[in-house]
Parts: sequence; C-alpha cells; structure tokens
Amino acid sequence: MTMEFEQLQKIWDAQNDQPLYTINEKAMYNIILSKKKQARHITNTSELLLIFVNLASVIFTVIVNYFKQGNIFLYLLSAWMFGSALFTLFSRIKRKKGEDQFDRSMHGDLNHAISVATYQVYISRIMRWNIIPIAVLCLLGLWDGGKPVWIVVTVLIFFSLVFYGGGWEHNIYKRKKRELEILKGKLENEA
Amino acid sequence: MTEKEQKQIFDDWLGLHKALIFKIVRVYAFNSMDKDDLFQEIIIQVWHSVPAFRKESSVTTWLYRVSLNTAIKWTKKERKHNRPEPLEGTRHILQEGSIQTDERLIWLYEEIYKLDEIDRSITLLLLDGFSYKEMASILGITESNIGVKINRIKKLLIAKSKNHDHGI
Repeated sequence: MTMEFEQLQKIWDAQNDQPLYTINEKAMYNIILSKKKQARHITNTSELLLIFVNLASVIFTVIVNYFKQGNIFLYLLSAWMFGSALFTLFSRIKRKKGEDQFDRSMHGDLNHAISVATYQVYISRIMRWNIIPIAVLCLLGLWDGGKPVWIVVTVLIFFSLVFYGGGWEHNIYKRKKRELEILKGKLENEA
Repeated sequence: MTEKEQKQIFDDWLGLHKALIFKIVRVYAFNSMDKDDLFQEIIIQVWHSVPAFRKESSVTTWLYRVSLNTAIKWTKKERKHNRPEPLEGTRHILQEGSIQTDERLIWLYEEIYKLDEIDRSITLLLLDGFSYKEMASILGITESNIGVKINRIKKLLIAKSKNHDHGI
C-alpha cells in the first residue's frame, strides 16, 4: 500500500508525545569511570616519564659538563631539571594521597574522575611553561660554550616546537576534562 | 556568561528538547555503541554552543543547527573506521523507549537512515515542520536546492512505502 506524505507526517508526529529513548544512568556512570581510568593511566605514565627524563637529563648533563666544559649555565640547567623531577614526584605523592578522600559511591567516583582530569590539566600546564627556563638555560649554555649559531638556532626551533606541542597536549586534556564535567552534570541532572 | 548560567541554560535546553537530540541520534547512528557515542558528542557540542547563542533564532532551530552539524561531521568521521557491533548484554546510555514498538515509525526511521547525511537532515527538519528558509539557514544550502531535494525525498519515501506492508 502506498502512503501519501501526509500519512508519513502523521506517523512522525505521533511520536512526539513519547520519548524515543531513556537515558541509562548506570551506563553513563560506567563511561565516566572508564574515562577516569584512561586519565589515571595517562597521568601515571606522564609523571613517571617526566621524573625519569628529568633525572636522566640531569645525570647526563652533569657528567658531560664535569668532564668537558664546566659551564655554569649547564649546572644551573641540571639543578632546574632536578627540581622539576622533585616537583613531579611530590605532586604525584600528593595526588595519590588525595585519592583517599573520595568514597566509593557514584558521587565520589564522579568527583574523583574530575579531580584526575583537573590534575592532568594542571601538570600539563606547569610542564609546558617549564620548557621556557630549560630552553633559556640550555641556549645560554650553548652560547657560553661557544657553539656555532646553527646549533643554537636548531635547539631554539626544537624548544619552540616542544612548547607548541605542549600547548596542543594541554588543550586535549582541557577538552577531556570539560567532556567529563558535561557528562557528570548530565548524569547528576538525570538522577 | 558564568559557568553556572551556562549549566542552567544547558539543563533547561536538554530538559525541554531532549527528544530532538534523540531523533537525530536515531537517524545518524545505527548500533547502540554509535548511538551512545553520537549522543555524547552532541551534548558536548550543545554545551559548548550555549555562550554563542544570541537569541537570533529559536532554541529549537539553534539546537537543530548544532546537533545536525555535529551528526554530519560525526558520520563522516565514523565512516573511516567502522566500529564492530557491541557484545550482547553491554549496557548503553540510550535505551529504546516504548515508541519503538510502532512498526511504521521504525520503517520510517530506517528509510531516513538510508538517505545521505544532508538528505537525512532535510527530512528531519521537514517532518518537524521547519520552513525552507529555516532549513537553508540551518544547513547552509540554498532554498531552491532544499526544494529540489525535498521533492526527491518525498517521492522516494512515497515510492518505498509501496513495497512495505505497514499493517494499516
């Protein structure tokens, strides 16, 4: 049987009184939890990587500087990176301790998810700006060591790219945090 | 706009116009996982759109514009990586409501789903009573183009209804 468009319209209009879907709060909650797990995993890996990279750079710079140049800026750079590693370590300890304040209720889990995302945004911002003093000290070290201009320029371009990439990464974390907040708001609104 | 105001508007919009988003999800996403994904994507984009709303159009028009553009972009992105159908028993955000038992409506949704992305948008807007001018503004297509497409869509749906037993 052929239907006229007016009949299709009537069928369509009939649905307006009834909801097409209902929102399953439990499923939404599970999605938030899986996003939290993912954020925790990324945060954990980033922290360990930052600590390791900073410490490895400190050891390398101190050894090379001690035997080759005795450049004051490179010693300062080592000290700064050692400070960065310590800062990351203390932040990590503080974050881990803070996890105890969230109870195992849905509300606690949701707040924990947001807290992990907030931390991720915070640490990525700090580490991005931390590139500037590292770059300055590194460039001063190269200048003081009498390195050719092309090396200084190459290093400058490298740090600029890292700074740019850091901003891009930071924005990803910001967006993920915002998404979590929206989903949490939606879930609380439905409950 | 403060975050509190933004949240208030967002909650009001979703409270009043949730059905609109559901319809879009239904015609742009096929399996349950896709529906969940698209639903999340739309509500996130709706949230971001709140401060940009200048009251130059109605809330419904605005929500259609944001949601349809999100759905069209999402479909193009998803076409590149096909997701497998989820395992049975997996919980999904969106659960089918009672309306799903209306066989004619299910048929209509299926037919709309078979259209291309733009035609799906036009059909939704047409069935929800938007004028050609509004459709053109929402989708960024000329009114004459909308007219041509609507004629084609109407003919197609009417022709397809021939081959389907609607139980009426």
